[in-house]
Amino acid sequence: MMKNMFIISGAVIVFFILFPLVGMVFSVSPQELFEAAFDAEVMNSIFLTLRASLWATIAAIIFGLPLAWVLVRLDFKGKKLIEGIIDIPVIIPHTAAGIALLSVWGRHSFFGRTTGISIIGTEIAISVAMFFVSVPFLINSLKSGLKLIDPKYEKVACTLGATPFKAFMTVTLPMLKRHLLSGSIMMWARGISEFGAVVVLAYHPMIAPVLIYDRYESFGLSHAKPVAVLLILICLLIFTVLRIIGERNRYD
Amino acid sequence: MIKLSGISKNYKIFSLKDISLEIQKGEYLVILGPSGSGKTLLLEIIASLEKPHKGSIEGVDNSKIGFIYQNLMLFPHLSVFDNIAYGLKMRGNKKMKVSETVVQTSKKLHIEHLLERNIKTLSGGEKQRVAIARAVVYKPELLLFDEPTAALDQNVKNEIQKLFRQIHRETGATVIHVTHDFNEALSVADKIAVIKNGAIVQFGTPEEIFNTPADSFVADFVGYRNVYSGKIEDNCFISGNIKIYVESKDRKKVYIAVKSEDTILSVEKIKSSARNSFHGEITDIEKKFNGYNIVVNAGFEICSTITSASFNNLELDIGKKVFITFKSSAVKVFCH
Repeated sequence: MMKNMFIISGAVIVFFILFPLVGMVFSVSPQELFEAAFDAEVMNSIFLTLRASLWATIAAIIFGLPLAWVLVRLDFKGKKLIEGIIDIPVIIPHTAAGIALLSVWGRHSFFGRTTGISIIGTEIAISVAMFFVSVPFLINSLKSGLKLIDPKYEKVACTLGATPFKAFMTVTLPMLKRHLLSGSIMMWARGISEFGAVVVLAYHPMIAPVLIYDRYESFGLSHAKPVAVLLILICLLIFTVLRIIGERNRYD
Repeated sequence: MIKLSGISKNYKIFSLKDISLEIQKGEYLVILGPSGSGKTLLLEIIASLEKPHKGSIEGVDNSKIGFIYQNLMLFPHLSVFDNIAYGLKMRGNKKMKVSETVVQTSKKLHIEHLLERNIKTLSGGEKQRVAIARAVVYKPELLLFDEPTAALDQNVKNEIQKLFRQIHRETGATVIHVTHDFNEALSVADKIAVIKNGAIVQFGTPEEIFNTPADSFVADFVGYRNVYSGKIEDNCFISGNIKIYVESKDRKKVYIAVKSEDTILSVEKIKSSARNSFHGEITDIEKKFNGYNIVVNAGFEICSTITSASFNNLELDIGKKVFITFKSSAVKVFCH
């Protein structure tokens, strides 16, 4: 009895997610989809989106791995505070995050005035905005992965003649591969779907979510829909492939 | 020689208090203590994996240690071969030399057929051998074992203990072996240090530890009284003028142990099927919470545990002559 009720209430959620997506995909004709796919502006914006989010993810891996290690392996005062800080981007509105970033990276910011450089309206600005809002997904995934790896693995590698850094690279990192991959996918996907922070820092060049919004505002629903469907299909394809690769890499 | 002086460290729930020990080159030292006494932490300090708050260590070359943890910590993402090869690779050995040495070591440990296997597919005893191979392949001078057999069945345990003795004999390495199992201690140790709540309460040969425990904690924890070292010939244990009937094959070097609870103390000689009977004078009477330990000198010291009722009944006192009797099957033999 209970089992059936739980299955039904679970199905409600799955249906709630799938119904609008499936509905939208089928409301677009194949011809419209092809047109969108051969529209240079659409494809450029989709590639820009994928690329900018990839840069953000790569930067986050380089800086995030040491940070996650420090947070999991070391005990120090203020650790909880730092963990809280990392979660801030998840809980604040992303337009607010964009405004905050503007005050650091904008033309009139301290950075902008002293260096004369402004990243506003560039691919870098897009990556910066994506990094800000999506980096918690990677850090938290790395942290939960590291927590599962007994620090004794690193210790035993040290007794075998490895330096602590080598022990991390040859033992911990390979064992963390699955969490690194899934965290990176989460972060990348979150970056691709970002709108609020990016639109404040860089309306142009247009990433796909901004392009969808722009077409919806300027030309209406029928012009926005094919682009949206195309983006959804490309994302689904990429993440399905990455998932399969991730599952293959399990050694346990 | 390895010398620990005044090692102290507070670490979460454990703490080590002023640990000083001297371990001779080539000696097999067992650190015996209940779980939670800080044994693992002490090993990690000796291996420089943890820093002590106070104290110093002399005579340990960090590049020449082999460490085996209780959970072995075999790298699950590497094959058996790559696990064993890890230490050699970290030492910058050439590929040829690495595979040559790995094969050589795995042959000795009878695991050469496992080299291509995944760690996850190995049995407990096989994993144990791989962990040993990984720790000894680069010929360390000091081996540190942290409860390495805790997870094994008794049969496999005996086999691995035999392997430890063999490695110790063949390599001449110094061994520090941590365990809570007094049977294991008797099977391998040259010297035993008993540790309690992070402090060493007694240090000595197995006979000293078992027969003259420093306090009631050591006595209760080690489990045996009446431990003797000697040899076995024709079902007879011989050590100096001691001769005790046992049920065992001939051995050159053994420890035997007789539980004091398994002996019968009598004022007059009893006729029975038990083949071991000794006559001597009571030299000491120790009150226990549920009875007495009676120590008798029968040319060698032997201890018998009796109840309070028996004690009153037999009117025992220091100097009184008594018999101590036990069956040959009550004698436990530990090969060395």
